[in-house]
Amino acid sequence: MTDLGPLAVAFSVMVAALLAVLASWLRTARNARATAPERVPFTGGRPPSAHAWSRYHARYYPMALLFLAFDMEMVFMYPWAVVFVSEGIVAMVEMGMFIAILLLGVLYAWRERAFDWT
Amino acid sequence: MTSVFHRMAAAADAPVFALAGAGMRWAVQDLLLADGITLVDSPRAASILLVAGELGPRLGEAAARVHDALPHPRATVLWASAPDGLAGAGAERIGPDADPVAATRAVFRDLVLGGRPSEPALLPDVDPATWRGVGPYGQGGSGMTGGTPYGRPMAELGPDRDGLRLDVLPTRLGPFFAPLPAGLELDLRVSGDVVVEARVTGSEVGTSEAAGGSAFVRALTQPQSIADLEMARARAHLRWAAEALRLQGLRAISLRALELARTIAPGDSAAVGRFATAVQRTGVYRWSLPNVDDRRRSLLADARLGPVSRACGGVDDERLADPAYIALGFAPITDVGDGVAAVWRARFGEASQSVDLASRAGSAVTTVTGTTESPRGRIALGDAPTARALEFVPALVEGLEWGDALATIAALDLDLDEMAALAGVTAA
Repeated sequence: MTDLGPLAVAFSVMVAALLAVLASWLRTARNARATAPERVPFTGGRPPSAHAWSRYHARYYPMALLFLAFDMEMVFMYPWAVVFVSEGIVAMVEMGMFIAILLLGVLYAWRERAFDWT
Repeated sequence: MTSVFHRMAAAADAPVFALAGAGMRWAVQDLLLADGITLVDSPRAASILLVAGELGPRLGEAAARVHDALPHPRATVLWASAPDGLAGAGAERIGPDADPVAATRAVFRDLVLGGRPSEPALLPDVDPATWRGVGPYGQGGSGMTGGTPYGRPMAELGPDRDGLRLDVLPTRLGPFFAPLPAGLELDLRVSGDVVVEARVTGSEVGTSEAAGGSAFVRALTQPQSIADLEMARARAHLRWAAEALRLQGLRAISLRALELARTIAPGDSAAVGRFATAVQRTGVYRWSLPNVDDRRRSLLADARLGPVSRACGGVDDERLADPAYIALGFAPITDVGDGVAAVWRARFGEASQSVDLASRAGSAVTTVTGTTESPRGRIALGDAPTARALEFVPALVEGLEWGDALATIAALDLDLDEMAALAGVTAA
């Protein structure tokens, strides 16, 4: 019981805080239900003429993919760094090949103008 | 404990969204320097709606819409104002000579401490249409959501700059969209953040009587002191700088511009020079301000839009036609570089020049009436530079990204008050 004491205290504090937040939210939610003009996005005082849902070209997308590729490469480099000293030049060459293949991908993306921001 | 929190909230700065009516643009701008209130750029972030001056009949409904966009608890302060749309709001009314800061603080304090009820919505709680699809229970239909949500059609498809077919979204901005002057309404079609098409659909605020006349408008009919005119010009440029810098998110230096506009004295062109250097050091010229391509430059060069035209290669300045200015050795500032940054440099150069001219002008007065050079360009009876600039706005912003489009519009220094005042001069 003594082991669980601090946990029980923390848990009851959390529950009490949650209930307090819920109660205050219920009070404001009951008092103020937004009217239709209050709910629309504000663009300067005129009602919107079209629905705000719009698909557009996310131009950072190829860059995000490239970032992910190199992020994963770092994941492989951590275990490699651990065994690098014991494996010696073989590990060096293997990692060189791995990075060279990835660099080909970068060159391809470069040619496809994935790095042109505007 | 609740009351402790309430008292702390009441002691904080009051977040205010201000609607600047006719002739009140600069009075509202001065509130940026006031202690105890914060001017915010969206009614969603405000507790108090401050309506300054008359808005005219066309903007009444829009003002009510802004009022309803404020979150609860909210209150309205009408400063020398009685707009149609806000008649039922139970607002606090103060006269033109009252202190708006003190009144706003008092209303905010009452509102937070519970002494003043939050104002109810002004517009009726009805959607423009029900959301109804094609199915028997209102479900389904074509498009992403099915049907027409609340009577608002979905965006149409159109080609974008990357060769894809994606949505082109119609967007209405204004009349109280913070980055634009109050009263200006734009209908845009945007593809992502690129403006595909732009149209100016409204540019009136208040009436021409309420807009009043600046020294430049008075100079059209009777001789004016050159020293006064040039100080007014320098102040106008510095106030424009405060707005443009605020739009770029540079709050501290924007306040410095405003402070300088209020305190600048004739002959103190060194202070303007130091300020211009400080603006250059922010890096805003290199990082934020867009280029102006040759097509747009040639549009603006001969439009007699003052510093804007002179930054685009034009040489016109009405002051060159006035012997009194020639006697002072006046020569317009040209050749200030490229792009929107050139417009900024032209305005700072001109502000500095005007402060210098004002100190040397003595009691000289203008000798030419009928046309004169305002800070925005050539003005004449019934001919305002803002009206001419508005015709260029679609051609200037189409094809630009949103931030560049706003910076370009801001560089034009649109002044709807001056436009209204000049329209009034013709009628008289």
